[in-house]
Amino acid sequence: MKLNIKKNKLAIIIFLILGVVPFFLDSYYLNNISYFMCWSFISLGLAVIWGMGGVLSFGQTAFFGLAGYSFSVISINFLGVAGVGIWSPILALLVTGLFGLVVGYFLFYGGIYDVFIGIVTLAITIVFETFMQQTAGPEYTIGLARLNGFNGMQGMPTIGFQDLKFGLVEGITQYYFILFIAAIILLSLYKFKNSKTGLIFFATKENRDRVASLGHNVQRVQLMAFVIASMLAGLSGILYTNWGGYITPSSMGLVSAALPVVWVAASGKKDFLSVFVGTVFLVWLSQTLAINGAQFAIITMGLILVIATIFFPDGIILMLKNKLIKKFKWLQS
Amino acid sequence: MIMLFNIAYQFGDALSFLLLSAIGLAVIFGMMKIINLAHGEFITVGAYGTVISGKVLHLPLPIAMAVGVLVTILFGLILEKLIIRHLYGRPLDSVVATWGISLIVSQSFLVIFGPSYEGLQTPMGNFKLGDYSYSEYRIFLIFFSIALLALLYILFMKTSFGALARATIEKPEIASSMGVNVKNVYSVTFAIGAGLAGVTGALYAPTMTIVPSIGQAFIVSAFITVVTAGASPFIGLVPAAAFLSTVQTSVTFFYKATIGIIALLFSVIIIIRFLPKGFSGLISKEK
Repeated sequence: MKLNIKKNKLAIIIFLILGVVPFFLDSYYLNNISYFMCWSFISLGLAVIWGMGGVLSFGQTAFFGLAGYSFSVISINFLGVAGVGIWSPILALLVTGLFGLVVGYFLFYGGIYDVFIGIVTLAITIVFETFMQQTAGPEYTIGLARLNGFNGMQGMPTIGFQDLKFGLVEGITQYYFILFIAAIILLSLYKFKNSKTGLIFFATKENRDRVASLGHNVQRVQLMAFVIASMLAGLSGILYTNWGGYITPSSMGLVSAALPVVWVAASGKKDFLSVFVGTVFLVWLSQTLAINGAQFAIITMGLILVIATIFFPDGIILMLKNKLIKKFKWLQS
Repeated sequence: MIMLFNIAYQFGDALSFLLLSAIGLAVIFGMMKIINLAHGEFITVGAYGTVISGKVLHLPLPIAMAVGVLVTILFGLILEKLIIRHLYGRPLDSVVATWGISLIVSQSFLVIFGPSYEGLQTPMGNFKLGDYSYSEYRIFLIFFSIALLALLYILFMKTSFGALARATIEKPEIASSMGVNVKNVYSVTFAIGAGLAGVTGALYAPTMTIVPSIGQAFIVSAFITVVTAGASPFIGLVPAAAFLSTVQTSVTFFYKATIGIIALLFSVIIIIRFLPKGFSGLISKEK
């Protein structure tokens, strides 16, 4: 992957800043930033299918939750097996991708489009939540792992960042790991956006029939993008579960499912960097507002969503980014 | 015989629940092509309106219900004027905006009314047949839901208002040039949809625990039914609800309620795989 320094000055500056902050913060703030960045992947996935392809999935949290639960179940069952911290997240990601493939197959090859995709995916995530909520009984045990119903799973073995501290602030390994993944994902997404498949997918947003008549397999491209998005949501789920050491059914409910949509819509669904920055900012904002009660944070997110859709359809962060570039001409590509 | 009645009762109960959850959503979607994600909150408004006017103002239940419906209509009209109006012609954006409304309203209810509210008693009585006891109110709901749907079909398909609404939504410019006040037609249609969601909330208010998330209990059923019904819900709603309640009742009969909901979801995914236009596409056979 070659990095075009001239074209991505702003992205490079942001990542350089993020790269040096650990030397100025204590572990509490560092862990918080790690937490905010965990959520960026589910947003980036949504930006891929919604911003690029115009396919609005409301149920990205289904993949988030599935990945979180799979990761927990796998790592609990294979505790102590060599390298479980490395391959259990990968396996969980594959399970999520496979589920995304099945759901996507039924959606795109079934000729479901537009709002219907949103409704079906939303129904999937809510049904997932409903199902997991009633798994409190001992009959819902996978191997050694109790699913634990409404309270969710906790105490699963984590990826194992604690063991590698390098004598620095606690949580620094996790922070750099997530930052590194974020950089890789953003780079790959830029590459995907400019690839042939990416351009075909981009074109399907405008006119599916015309793209098909040019000889491209529309369904296959859409399915591919959908699987990418579901795995990105899964990545968020795994990192979140690993970060906090728990996963609950409510992470898939109606309110949770709305949040990625808020973040992406308010940030600017067409620009990956804006989505990354915007998600980190908005998760921070939610957390700050939630001090007075989670309801107020959610009401604010709802207001942001309504205001952004009516007045800033291209996204608030993207607008700010464009203003910034206009002011500082040297940032321009 | 009693077994048969029991099955019919369960089926009818599931059918009326699906029909009533979907009806407001179906009108707004079928007429305006907007999926109203705040549908659940409209139901919540209807339920709270009914319970509060019943408990605080001590109104008799039918009047309390009417108040609940009126409050929901008013609520829908205000939202249409403030928000939805700006988003006509942007179907995906309108869906997203209604989701924002849903977040704001459901959490505001939590802030204002607290996590739960004292409910009303289920009206009418019960009767026994064999070992089982049945609620008369639930049987009333079965007939009421079907009558309501028939009424709506007549309103939108047989009256001049229906023709006006359908024509306006099909070709707003032409309707406007014929002197139709397009904005008003949109408002009225949206208000009817909101009012129907209010009816659902009012009717189920005496049968459920009144919590701020009460509307969310309906939302999956509503979506699933509308998606299965397809593009013209007036034709598709009854066969869709009948099919889905058959699936749900039979699965719930053998397993349990949560599995019933999951079976619903799977049957919907399979149905739209083979009938992308839903049941209304199967019936009307139009392209």
